[in-house]
Amino acid sequence: MKSRGSFGRGLVYVLLFLIAVVFLAPIVIILINSLKGNFYISSSPFTFPTEETFVGFENFIKGFNQSDFMRSFANSAFITVASVVGIVLMTSMTAWYIVRIRNKFTRILYYLFVFSMVVPFQMVMYTMTYFAFEFRLNNPWGIVFIYLGFGAGLSVFMFSGFIKSIPREIEEAATIDGCGPVRTFFTIIFPILKPTAITVAILNAMWIWNDYLLPYLVLGSGENKTLPVAVQMALTGGYGNKDMGALMAMLVLAILPIIIFYLFCQKYIIRGVVAGAVKG
Amino acid sequence: MATIRFSNVAKSFDNGKVTVIPDLSLEIADKEFVVLVGPSGCGKSTTLRMIAGLEDISSGELYINDKLVNNIPPKDRDIAMVFQSYALYPHMTVYKNMAFALKLKKTPKKEIEEKVMWAAKILDIEPYLNRKPRALSGGQRQRVALGRAMVRNPEVFLLDEPLSNLDAKLRTEMRAQITTLHRKLQTTFVYVTHDQTEAMTMADRIVVMEKGEIRQFDTPQKLYNEPADMFVAGFIGSPQMNFIDARIVSEKGKLKVVFSGCSFAVPKNKSAVLEKYIDKDIILGIRPEHFLSRDEGDVSDKCKMNVVAEISEMMGSETNIYFDLSGKRHIARIKTERKIGAGESTELFIDPETAYFFDKETTKNTFAVG
Repeated sequence: MKSRGSFGRGLVYVLLFLIAVVFLAPIVIILINSLKGNFYISSSPFTFPTEETFVGFENFIKGFNQSDFMRSFANSAFITVASVVGIVLMTSMTAWYIVRIRNKFTRILYYLFVFSMVVPFQMVMYTMTYFAFEFRLNNPWGIVFIYLGFGAGLSVFMFSGFIKSIPREIEEAATIDGCGPVRTFFTIIFPILKPTAITVAILNAMWIWNDYLLPYLVLGSGENKTLPVAVQMALTGGYGNKDMGALMAMLVLAILPIIIFYLFCQKYIIRGVVAGAVKG
Repeated sequence: MATIRFSNVAKSFDNGKVTVIPDLSLEIADKEFVVLVGPSGCGKSTTLRMIAGLEDISSGELYINDKLVNNIPPKDRDIAMVFQSYALYPHMTVYKNMAFALKLKKTPKKEIEEKVMWAAKILDIEPYLNRKPRALSGGQRQRVALGRAMVRNPEVFLLDEPLSNLDAKLRTEMRAQITTLHRKLQTTFVYVTHDQTEAMTMADRIVVMEKGEIRQFDTPQKLYNEPADMFVAGFIGSPQMNFIDARIVSEKGKLKVVFSGCSFAVPKNKSAVLEKYIDKDIILGIRPEHFLSRDEGDVSDKCKMNVVAEISEMMGSETNIYFDLSGKRHIARIKTERKIGAGESTELFIDPETAYFFDKETTKNTFAVG
């Protein structure tokens, strides 16, 4: 029985390893190709750089110069940071209200937020784009507002789950100690929500930083364009001619911040997801 | 100095659909330790929460120190509350938990430190001041919760089942600590519990509640010796009082209580009241500890019953005997050196002086006040 168990476990490990390889392959391919010459990227995309194919940081410099990198990086950074801060603050307050004030209105509100999670973006993108232009939301501040809407569903759902596990008595103790609702939220509730807030922040940051379609539709390829749009635009020449080396280098630079952010905060993701399920 | 007065206070939920407290009038004296006790859902916690200001009052008036507080927010009522789940702020250290209310009041830092250290010393939690609540045991957390209340130096201490989450040994310890604390602080304590032992051991006076109404408000001794009705009689005392269907008869001008094939003469001091019950059914109340065994001295003038022990529990110095009388299970707690086995027949004696007589219709004690 024991040997069968360890054989089964071994098989699971092999399977998991294969899945991990499949998931990591695109990133590794981008990374190794970003260091190779353009010609070799097409002829042997899956080999590591050799003395002959290695071009150092040439692709990075080229891409940096061609793609208006700094400006779009700043745009992406502003949109991501502002949206994430907005989402975390607003949705945690909303979830607190929904959980603590139990009435018909809050119940409907909660189900609307949950429902918004299952509506595919493609279904609403045309009307959304139309309204974004109509209400002059086609700028970095406007898209932050739009992201707040799209990010609210999952975030409210996650915060609500966690807030339900916070004993109400803690808030009552704060009331007796002299806190009003605003102070109770910011000095008592929000610090308790920290693990969930970090999880919500990570999930939203990854999505917003990497998002291509929404910024492309709303901000277009003008001066407000975000990094994914900028990389795609700048490095696409006429007649489908692409500078693959520079493209790979830019992709590495584009995903680097979010990977660093993720690695920095990843321990909180697991903690945040579990925290809602088990009473703290 | 703090008195609390409820004047015809009512509390209902869901726009008056559910009434928890129909009409409550109660006066708690200054420096008194009052325990609100009753079964779950009797309204004791709601009453406490109304004092705290955590629940609105549907109608009536609530006074603290003769000041109407119906519309005064909790923070301005000069109260402190200790919750069942401790309700400590999990992200703050013990020190910060205790200092929080004072900090909000903009108390000088030095004064905060003095007060926190004073409370920590009394409660013996000085070594834990820099720890977070999750690194403390249940008893330590409860002491921190008490400390948090103490530093505010409130007029009224409100405690909502503070010992329910602790194990039996710790509960006994904390019980003594809270009683000592009350003596030291000399403030009004209002304490909610469903545990009658806590109520009996700690209170100056006990409010026994049922369905939002006060059944009796008196000292522990009075509640035990002179319960107002069957509810109070059954609630106070452990194991609970036995209620036996009986009848009052008059034989040759003397009153007798007849029940389950046994009878005894009504004590002289109780004859006058029970006269109006001649040939009527009453409920006879006998506390388990008032049954006697043959080993407990002279029982010649006591009423003898022969019962079959269904279950016998040796409790050390005493033995609990469960027996059946007219289809109802009763319990006697007797002192005997003999081991009584299940199914064994044994003699029990009742001292008529210790018997209670309840009106069968109203369930009121026939001797109770009023």
